[in-house]
Amino acid sequence: MENVKAYIESGILELYVLGDISAEEKLQVEDMALKYPEIRAEITEIEKSMEFYAEEHAIEPPADLRQRVLGSLLINLGDDNTFTKAVTHQDDDHIKRLPVTRVNNFYKYAFAACLTLLLVSIYGLVNLYSKLQDSNTQLTALQTDKVRIANQVNLMDSQLDMYRDTTYKVLRLKGLPKTPSAAMILAWNSVSKKVIVDVQSVKLPKNDKQHQYQLWALVNGKPVDMGVFDAPEADTAGIKEMKAIASAQGFAVTLEPTGGSINPTMDQMVVIGQF
Amino acid sequence: MTPKRKISLSEEELILALRNREKIAVEALYDMYSASLFGVISRIITDEATAEDVLQETFVKIWHSFSGYSSEKGRLFTWMVNIARNLAIDKVRSKDFKNQSKNHELENNVTFIDEQKNTVYKPELLGIRDLVSALKPEQRSILDLVYFKGYTHVEAADELGVPLGTIKTRLRMGILELRKHFNE
Repeated sequence: MENVKAYIESGILELYVLGDISAEEKLQVEDMALKYPEIRAEITEIEKSMEFYAEEHAIEPPADLRQRVLGSLLINLGDDNTFTKAVTHQDDDHIKRLPVTRVNNFYKYAFAACLTLLLVSIYGLVNLYSKLQDSNTQLTALQTDKVRIANQVNLMDSQLDMYRDTTYKVLRLKGLPKTPSAAMILAWNSVSKKVIVDVQSVKLPKNDKQHQYQLWALVNGKPVDMGVFDAPEADTAGIKEMKAIASAQGFAVTLEPTGGSINPTMDQMVVIGQF
Repeated sequence: MTPKRKISLSEEELILALRNREKIAVEALYDMYSASLFGVISRIITDEATAEDVLQETFVKIWHSFSGYSSEKGRLFTWMVNIARNLAIDKVRSKDFKNQSKNHELENNVTFIDEQKNTVYKPELLGIRDLVSALKPEQRSILDLVYFKGYTHVEAADELGVPLGTIKTRLRMGILELRKHFNE
């Protein structure tokens, strides 16, 4: 007991109550307090003394602080027990998270881009198609031209042959006193017996639909039918092959009813020429 | 604002209510101890707004760490006043608090606060008020340094220029004096 009294009087219990003690000493004091009720009682007495000392120095905090402190504690209280069980969050449960709008935007922009691309493509296609049409038209025109020119070249060739070929005899038919401006050139091949009219050289008055010009060959003083033809349009090039004849001393042209006549109408003679 | 009716429970009832996390325990805790704790905090922190913040922190910490309190190891108030004192000292020693406030000289601090604030004396404690003023000045200064300022008795010995043994003796004598009058 003397031991306990000395321990009490050492002043360590006061330091224990004041919290001014190492952790090791603290455990030692608590151990002693469990063993000796006198020490436990002594500690309680010291605590009460200090508690009253504090009350003596008490300062009433501002009235509004009570609400602040209680508020912050009661919020925790709610979290700790009541509200976790009592409060249900059904309203919140029905809230569905909407898809993130950014994804929507992506599709929106992608769709807009596609649409723009489509429109541009259609415009380009239409443009290209009309150009293709133009080109086709031009190509057709060129081909027509080409064929026409090729034909013309062929014609010119045969026309030239008429003059080059020495077997052809060229005859210039001249107008009569009644038709002084009329004229035409033809060629007769004594070998192949062909008779060809140089169309460009034909200078005859226009015939109406009821009449046609008829070529006659003069064989031994008798006229022989060589076929009919129309006065050509101005600047028409080319040659016209007439009927063949074995021999002839001259050629003449008369204006006859369409289709020709068996015998020439002599007063309708427009040109004549003799070898 | 009419003063609220303060709730008071016995320490056993209060501890039980706190264990059960009852709302009334929170109110009783504040009503019974806020003034005493604020008195301690205000002697460490002179800035009133900061002292109020620390009081709030103290109650929050008491509430959260109440499971760590055991009545076998001591009285509830002893446990709480240690929390309050430690929080207040931490605040005073924290960097930003040092930067924002000029600390008063320690010796003058207690009297400074007593001049500044209306210390509330409960009528039933008037006798003790008399007794405290009857404490010898050297007993009072050592009690104030250790109890209110969080000095260790070693630091207090340095501060007061007194041997350690003397400090311990004065401390014990002062508390004995308090006890004598308290038990009368």
